[in-house]
Amino acid sequence: MDRLIYVAMSGAKNSETRQATIANNLANVTTPGFRAELANARAVAALGGPGIGTRAFVVQQSASADFSPGIFQQTGRDLDVAVRGNGWLAVQTPSGEAYTRNGSFAIDAAGLLKTHSGEIVQGESGPLTIPENNRATIAPDGTVTAIDIANPTQTVEVGRLKLVNPADDQLEKGLDGLFRLRSGEVAQADAAVRLASGGIEGSNVNSVEQLVNMISTQRHFDMQVKLLTTAEQNSRSASSLLSLNG
Amino acid sequence: MMRSLWTAKTGMDAMQFNIDVVSHNLSNVNTNGYKRERAIFEDLMYQNLRQAGGASSQQTSLPSGLYVGTGTQIVATVRNHSVGNLQKTDGPLDLAINGDGFFQIALPNGTTAYTRDGAFQVNSQGTIVTSSGYELSPAIQVPQGTTSITFAKDGTVSAIVNNDAAAPIQVGNIQTATFINPPGLESIGGNLYLETSASGAPTVGTPGTNGLGAINQGYTETSNVNATEELINMIQAQRAFELNSKAVTTTDQMLAKLSQM
Repeated sequence: MDRLIYVAMSGAKNSETRQATIANNLANVTTPGFRAELANARAVAALGGPGIGTRAFVVQQSASADFSPGIFQQTGRDLDVAVRGNGWLAVQTPSGEAYTRNGSFAIDAAGLLKTHSGEIVQGESGPLTIPENNRATIAPDGTVTAIDIANPTQTVEVGRLKLVNPADDQLEKGLDGLFRLRSGEVAQADAAVRLASGGIEGSNVNSVEQLVNMISTQRHFDMQVKLLTTAEQNSRSASSLLSLNG
Repeated sequence: MMRSLWTAKTGMDAMQFNIDVVSHNLSNVNTNGYKRERAIFEDLMYQNLRQAGGASSQQTSLPSGLYVGTGTQIVATVRNHSVGNLQKTDGPLDLAINGDGFFQIALPNGTTAYTRDGAFQVNSQGTIVTSSGYELSPAIQVPQGTTSITFAKDGTVSAIVNNDAAAPIQVGNIQTATFINPPGLESIGGNLYLETSASGAPTVGTPGTNGLGAINQGYTETSNVNATEELINMIQAQRAFELNSKAVTTTDQMLAKLSQM
């Protein structure tokens, strides 16, 4: 009886975590470059004690993210880029290089190319600085060109965005939402990655799928609660059998 | 259980903010020189519930951990400084900059503000001012008895006084300013922007040269808000809000089931 209660509780707890993951995906349905979280469950055999080996608890784990591409949204900004197909943009974080699909950049007062959350965009040879009174454009191969506003024939090649393309299974989402290599190493630049400028990649969250997942998780939770209730009723019947008053 | 409630709440909050941005754009669809804003979202920190690589037994380790995201937030609103429609008004004091640059406006407190709204007027002292009465900087004085005033593409202002067309008087020069990072300007309302450390210092020059846009008399620059885009953004924000409220309802139903057990 007590074991049924614990197994059912493990299932209910799993549904709760799964629900949190789905809620996070739904909350990020408009976050540029967001990669939906996949929630996987794993069975773990209960150890020790008498009984047949049918009891298994469930453990929730983050397998990885859904790496399918999001839709391209035209924004008309010079400093918005989206990665075409596979590939990632590199940014500098305090804990080393990280990768993102969110290609909406800004220039700070010193001319440094940054993301909106302040991480410095990584070029193939370090950060990229746009000279004063220049307009930056980003070519499909990641080359950043500064065009002098005063003299549009005067262009300077500022550098090239570091574009990488590690295999999906080597990447892992960090606690800041950016991706890093599982090995902790820095990915090599890949010249084959292509960009589309003037727009950003939307979130890849499939809201229909998430809603269906949410409903099924809710029903799953209901079933676990039902099992908890059944366990309680069983326990009550058992104790009434033992009762002297009948 | 509570986690998904709060996560969905961040989504609803962000979408509400997004609607605020969209409605601000839509309400300024007819504002001279208004530049549309767009909200940028970011996922919030993830909680590490179980570290990947932790031991699952003496010999084995967990292949993957358990991370749960905590929602979304708006990280920036970015102003799009593309040129709005240039609308012909034929007003002699209506000026539009075709290209880069801001008019410089002297605020009563002595600081300089910047604007793209070129619908100027003349005050009782004959000074050229904005619709709010702030002077154009450097100040331009329209002489008494002026019958016509001309703004050249390069900002040279000349006036014909007492119908003496043969001898126009040059009364001043309009200079415009550019910034390395116009989205970094601070909006203070009244179509005015202030310099910030993010925008960088202004570079002042003669309109029509060095990449600055030329001044066009008899035109005003309308807002660059694209109504279609805003409506699409509004629908998207509304649906995303609904999805997140659905997540709240579902979580609530789960909690209800639990408490009725």
